[in-house]
Amino acid sequence: MTKELENKLREEVRNLLEKGKVDRVIGYGAGSLRFAATPLIISDKADVDRLIINPFIHNNLSVFLPDVSGKVAIVAKECDARSIISLVQNKQIPRENVYIIGVPCSGIIDLGKVEKLTGLDRDEIDDISWQGDKVTIASAGGAKEFTAQEVLADSCLGCDAGGFREFDLVIGEMKPVAADKELIRKRIKDMEAMSPAERWEFWKNEFSRCIRCYACRQICPVCFCDRCFVEETEPQWISPLPRWQDNLIFQAVRMMHVAGRCTDCGECERACPVNIPLGILTGKMEDIVEELFEYRAGMDKDAPPLMAAYQPEEAEDLIR
Amino acid sequence: MKKIKKQSVRGLLEKWQKDFSVFVPSKASGSSQMAVWDGQDLAFLDRNRNTVVPPKANFLPNIEKMFGFRKEEDGYVLEPADEDAPRQLIFGIHPCDARAIAIIDMVFRDAYEDKYYLSRRQNTVLVGMACAAPYDNCFCTSLGFGPADATDVDIMLTDIGDSFVIEEITDRGKEAVAGAKDVVEATPADEKKAGEVKASARAMLSKEIDTDEIAKRLPAAFDDKSFWEEIAAKCVSCGICTFLCPTCYCFDINDEMLKDGSGARYRNWDCCSFAVYTRMPAENPREEKWRRVRQKVYHKYSFYPELFGIIGCTGCGRCIRQCPVNWDITETLNNLPAGSAARTEEKQKPS
Amino acid sequence: MDSFEPKIVAFCCNWCSYAGADLAGTSRMQYPPNIRIIRVMCSGRVNPSFVLKALSVGADGVLVLGCHPGDCHYLTGNYRARRRMAIAKKFLEYMGVEPERIQVGWCSASEGSRFAELVGEVTDNLRQLSPNRMFND
Ligand code: SF4
Ligand code: SF4
Ligand code: SF4
Ligand code: SF4
Ligand code: FES
Repeated sequence: MTKELENKLREEVRNLLEKGKVDRVIGYGAGSLRFAATPLIISDKADVDRLIINPFIHNNLSVFLPDVSGKVAIVAKECDARSIISLVQNKQIPRENVYIIGVPCSGIIDLGKVEKLTGLDRDEIDDISWQGDKVTIASAGGAKEFTAQEVLADSCLGCDAGGFREFDLVIGEMKPVAADKELIRKRIKDMEAMSPAERWEFWKNEFSRCIRCYACRQICPVCFCDRCFVEETEPQWISPLPRWQDNLIFQAVRMMHVAGRCTDCGECERACPVNIPLGILTGKMEDIVEELFEYRAGMDKDAPPLMAAYQPEEAEDLIR
Repeated sequence: MKKIKKQSVRGLLEKWQKDFSVFVPSKASGSSQMAVWDGQDLAFLDRNRNTVVPPKANFLPNIEKMFGFRKEEDGYVLEPADEDAPRQLIFGIHPCDARAIAIIDMVFRDAYEDKYYLSRRQNTVLVGMACAAPYDNCFCTSLGFGPADATDVDIMLTDIGDSFVIEEITDRGKEAVAGAKDVVEATPADEKKAGEVKASARAMLSKEIDTDEIAKRLPAAFDDKSFWEEIAAKCVSCGICTFLCPTCYCFDINDEMLKDGSGARYRNWDCCSFAVYTRMPAENPREEKWRRVRQKVYHKYSFYPELFGIIGCTGCGRCIRQCPVNWDITETLNNLPAGSAARTEEKQKPS
Repeated sequence: MDSFEPKIVAFCCNWCSYAGADLAGTSRMQYPPNIRIIRVMCSGRVNPSFVLKALSVGADGVLVLGCHPGDCHYLTGNYRARRRMAIAKKFLEYMGVEPERIQVGWCSASEGSRFAELVGEVTDNLRQLSPNRMFND
């Protein structure tokens, strides 16, 4: 199945490059870590066979679009495609310069979850095979079976694939994800059940680990500012020292800046080397934006960005 | 050599706790790092894979107060930060991370005497543990040592099943073990077993780089812009590979002022992957990403050897494991252009 | 709980609410002295980072004031402020900031009395909370 898709993808990409329809292609290649895929940016036909598709292609490749010149084809899962459109809406890239190749995605296996469930590191796992709604994980200690929901990325569990129409080409057939909205909302619900003081304490504790590597910001396709507020010095909004206070303000402001651009793709949480559960924030922000303004990022290339539009009457109940 | 039964290690740690802050590999905080031993958890005795945050954080903390200052009538008065660092014992450090500290020594002790670093360094005992399960992307054996090398620790432990064989490497190490209950002489059979364990750890490593070839190619590769652009394309310029590298030591210095004119000077980690790192009023010599990626590779594999006669990388593999896009320094090193002619054959193979 | 005197940072737009504050002052209207005004050209200038900065350096509450909808000197600045601040209020509440600490309102240049009332209300609201110690170690 995957092999078939891969061949189809390679064929299409070869075609695009040969005909000169695009100058470059952003896709996935085999990574050097076990199970990993890695972003692959090619312009030469000879490299086409390095492209791969599998359930581990978690990177949201749209983060590379603003930096890659010329006409670009990009391999996109449905969530990534929303980010691409979000970039178009925010005038970071012209729509006509991007050729979006949709790949059918039934969800991405979150290796972090696999490691947690098995107590093993990924290089101690021999094989991960996914059939139907079961995922079997084999290691020296034997094989264990999990439901797909247990190992899929949170962002996939919240995915409502099917509503999106902006692909220029789709490889194979788009299929719904084994989504489980209740499961993904669980983390948010648990948070809401706490008192404000408990919530603050929770985040204080989480952000005391932050090392301010800015991987969350750098991996984020919609954190596209040339100059981030954290680097401003006159006035200085936060200290460069990674104290929890400054770490928390950094992330809170980042979240408010990407509101209406963030598609809850989950890349920031996956990138964080100290496991700060940023998805609990991005997920809630998507909800807030939708509740208040009936807005979802990246759904309509012609819709203005959230912060560049308004309705004469909205959110007045929050205003004195 | 000596040895200690695994079930007696608790007692040893408790003894050490009286004299030191004892740090052990831990995930209790939510991330994997060296943390103060809680007196309970001993999981690291059986499973001790390298931490995500390296032990360099125990020597070069991410927030270091250098001194305070106060405004008086005739100028500023400096108030030194804490005089001496507390005594610490780092238990279960891997040979690569101990090597990394030895590498940092060359900068913060030999080339310049950094009192903050030295105070911590002099008050630390390193208790090493031979790697029983190296990661599949470790490549320390290519860098002149191996997963059981005891050169850079004070005490080395090797897991032989129900016990650890103890090697006292330095006087500081001898002192720390002296008088410890339940530490007995190792038998020749124990020593033989330890030797086998070490050899088998070494045999587990398969990732390799060829440092001689790299040294040969680096000078000419420097100006191969297209090579570096290609290599750098997927990097997103975050701080992960440098912040988590056990030998990266770059820092930023900031003064924090209070309203009354007093304040303090602090030092925190900085990173050459960030474009702002080299931003100056007139220009930025490393504005482009490929220059920053190149810098990272050259600092470790070219500038360090030139200055200190040693490669500034220990092959711990953190930069590969933690990178959000799986950028792999060994792929770069193994595919350096051999010169202008060879460039075309260089299409790298995905492994 | 003992009530305390909250410190409030108010961001007032130059054209309406700052003028409103001015009018309250020149008309010698009574309002609590708890407020520190920072003038901004438009409520649309207020970045969520302003709010968090104020709270982190010790403000007990933040008040963002702009022209009434439709009256913004720059036509739509306050509509954007409304979106931005509505999100900030909801999101920061979710992170654990009491919603009373972030207040948004409209006040025109001729509404000196409204300005005084708003400041009074917000001050009263905040007196019910405890002092802001959120950012203490
Ligand atoms: S990725 Fe994690 S550790 Fe790095 S800056 Fe973001 S929240 Fe902090
Ligand atoms: S904030 Fe995180 S979840 Fe949202 S778009 Fe950026 S990387 Fe994706
Ligand atoms: S961790 Fe990876 S993405 Fe981040 S700077 Fe290093 S190589 Fe680039
Ligand atoms: S460069 Fe990478 S492999 Fe080498 S010491 Fe640093 S983190 Fe480890
Ligand atoms: S000028 Fe008053 S809100 Fe824009």
